[in-house]
Amino acid sequence: MKKKRLLLLVTGLFGSLALAAAGCGGGGGGGSSSTGGGSTGAAANQVMTIGWGAEPPSLDPGLATDTTSSNVLLNIMDPLVRLDNENKAVPSLAESWDLSPDGKTVTYHLRKDGKWTNGDPVTAKDFVYSWKRTLSPDLAADYAYQLYGLVGAQEYNSCTKNCDALAAKVGVEATDDSTLVVHLTSAQPWFIQQSAHTAFLAVHQATVEKFGDKWTEPQNIVTDGPFKLAKWEHEAEIDLVKNDQWRGAKDVKLTSVPGKIIVDGTTRVQAFESGEVDALDGGGLPPDEIARLKSTPEYEVYPSLGTYYYGFNIKNISDIHERRALSLAINRREIIDQVAQGDQLPATGMSPKGIAGFDTINPNSPWTPENGDQAKAKDELSQAASPKKNINLFFNDSPGHKEIATAIQAQWKQLGITTTLKQQEWAQYLQFLGPPPNSAVDVYRLGWIYDFPDAINGLELWTCKSGNNNTNFCDKNFDDTVAKAKETPDDTARYQIYAQLEQMLFGQDGALPITPIYWYTFPNLEKLTVKDTFNITPLDQIDLTKVVVKG
Amino acid sequence: MTTFIIRRVFWTIPVVLLVILMTFLLMRQIGGNPFRHTERNVPAAIQANLEKKFHLDRPWYVQYAYYVKGVLTFDLGPSMSQRDRTVNDIVKDGFPRSLKLGLMAFLWALIVGIPLGVLAALRPNSVFDYIAMFLSSIGFALPSFFVATLLIYYFSVKLGMFPTSGWPNSFWAFDKRLVLPAFALGLFPMAYFARLVRGSMLETMQQDYVRTAKAKGLRYRRVILLHVLRNSLIPAVTATAPLLGLIITGTFVIEFIFSIPGIGRYFINSVSNRDYSVVMGITVLTSMIIVVANLFVDIMYGVLDPRTREAR
Repeated sequence: MKKKRLLLLVTGLFGSLALAAAGCGGGGGGGSSSTGGGSTGAAANQVMTIGWGAEPPSLDPGLATDTTSSNVLLNIMDPLVRLDNENKAVPSLAESWDLSPDGKTVTYHLRKDGKWTNGDPVTAKDFVYSWKRTLSPDLAADYAYQLYGLVGAQEYNSCTKNCDALAAKVGVEATDDSTLVVHLTSAQPWFIQQSAHTAFLAVHQATVEKFGDKWTEPQNIVTDGPFKLAKWEHEAEIDLVKNDQWRGAKDVKLTSVPGKIIVDGTTRVQAFESGEVDALDGGGLPPDEIARLKSTPEYEVYPSLGTYYYGFNIKNISDIHERRALSLAINRREIIDQVAQGDQLPATGMSPKGIAGFDTINPNSPWTPENGDQAKAKDELSQAASPKKNINLFFNDSPGHKEIATAIQAQWKQLGITTTLKQQEWAQYLQFLGPPPNSAVDVYRLGWIYDFPDAINGLELWTCKSGNNNTNFCDKNFDDTVAKAKETPDDTARYQIYAQLEQMLFGQDGALPITPIYWYTFPNLEKLTVKDTFNITPLDQIDLTKVVVKG
Repeated sequence: MTTFIIRRVFWTIPVVLLVILMTFLLMRQIGGNPFRHTERNVPAAIQANLEKKFHLDRPWYVQYAYYVKGVLTFDLGPSMSQRDRTVNDIVKDGFPRSLKLGLMAFLWALIVGIPLGVLAALRPNSVFDYIAMFLSSIGFALPSFFVATLLIYYFSVKLGMFPTSGWPNSFWAFDKRLVLPAFALGLFPMAYFARLVRGSMLETMQQDYVRTAKAKGLRYRRVILLHVLRNSLIPAVTATAPLLGLIITGTFVIEFIFSIPGIGRYFINSVSNRDYSVVMGITVLTSMIIVVANLFVDIMYGVLDPRTREAR
């Protein structure tokens, strides 16, 4: 009897042991950390593993829309220009550029030593082909609008027939192999900086035509940048290796950058803490872990060009005094320290710190005191004729927004205003907001991440026809001033106009269609061996050519 | 038996068509723009180009016809969010991984759960029984995502015994990354099997025919294995079909937490992204799996219980 029971018990145990043993066999996960020598200076093994937060939806520059794609692309391709830490354009593949006196023609002079990984030289014709391809209606590129500044671009992108004729009219041409001439619809002083965006990268024509959709697979792809795509296991791993043929290869220290794609924020942090990745990609840390991670030496926070704001539906909250009161009552310092906890900067205007000309542009709005001002808020509210006392506040369901909304709900309660919180799923939320602006909305939460480092990108949101203006704010004077700014190539003069625009929105007599709450940051975790050289720019880009693993 | 199988296979067709229709209608109902992922509004010309490319500018019955045709020709279409891959690519890459995860979890549940239940039934109300049922209750009560995160915290970060995430690429490769996800996913089925087998064994052992077998002088092992266990397994087999559904949906969460590149995680993302073709493709695939699983269970039922065979 006892023997039989023992037999069954042993069988059961063996089963689970077998499973565990199967698990213990074979290699472990991929990714190697750097191993350093004893001395300071560069380690012998220049390998750094990154934890990416998402699978890149596409590595086709025409189709890439998110940060992971953009980061990989800017390291495997060679853009015309790059942006430095002050967001100024520095030469990359374009060694110099000229502007015509009216600012409408930009001529890039390309280096002669740009090379594709299959040996072909990079020429200006590659850029002409690529930009027209991005604008082609067949490709249906999401970021085609980045190229709308070119003559004939919008017409070509929206064409339904005779498209080839329109393609020929797009304002980009190669006068010779190393000269790229761009014709703009108007003087766009920020165009050079904007051309650092991935939408302006060149692709290798023969490869794209040969492989179609599959040209970005590692066995097919042809690139021209400091790194090569060595491996792309979809949803799991994306590995880069140094391109020894690149023109600047001798200055690039990293030999290999394996990348693990880990979508869950908590798992990403755990992967970092167990040593499987050396750095995360700046995609954000789980809000409930930030407080703990801030005290670790691996924590680093970067300023970002983005503004988190609450927009008012000025048809529902029509009294300027009430909007001022609501804006004054928000204690931004408390929200940043207690709720968001990402070392964000309290916003005092639309354009974030770090934007070119910030000191001139920033209005230092009297309506956005850092610690809130309940007394002044109550005073403003009393001046409102018949303020709306019951407000609907809409926001989306991503982590963190509900907590901020709850804090602000409490702050507004002190004014005697009852706020009902309404949370929606992201895609439905965007559809719900409009345009045209939804009349059920009193206040809504949104953020704006800048495409390029010029204040116009955020200020033009508040024009009448902007597809991102859900406030019903429409002021012809404002629109005219925006148009004037777009025609002003001189930076100093233009920053003055931006300052005017900010005053129109947030100044003493500003219309206050929105109340900005904070300017975004990128909190990140980086191992001490790479922390000094691994940096994330305000536009969320990582330049791997600068990273050195310390010994 | 053959006619039975053929009839069941025929029934699959209307089931799948209905699934496609319901998924199609539901996805359209929840709204949202499949091409707008950030707060940035999509310019009209670009929206038009994208809709034309993915047939979204056609009337709903034309779109439905496209989907049905796609399913019948096994070409599930391009993905709207991953522009370089088709749904077929995604399923081809991801499905074997999810299948492997599901199978391993199921196997572990079987190998541990059934013996646990059997042993608990053989020593009712003993210390072993209490411990076994306590473990089973924990398996029921704790949600899989909670267990998963705890496991990663203790075994990966603190003890460093297992990697925190990832999955081997090839179907036949076995390494450490399989252990924690399979354990987390298999915990609930294990608990379910343990309780079920224990309960049905206790009941079966009261039956007259068992008493007769013992009285006849058959060996204890023969009585347990041949008579008691075989009959007690019938409820467990019946439970397998819904459990399989549970495992399939459980993979969504586990895959997300462990960053396993299977179709479960992909499915969740596609719903948020409004990637209609991927949602449709994976739903159809999942429903066919469940249909096949149910068919398999019914066949096993016939094998285990001869009485059902005769009725046909």
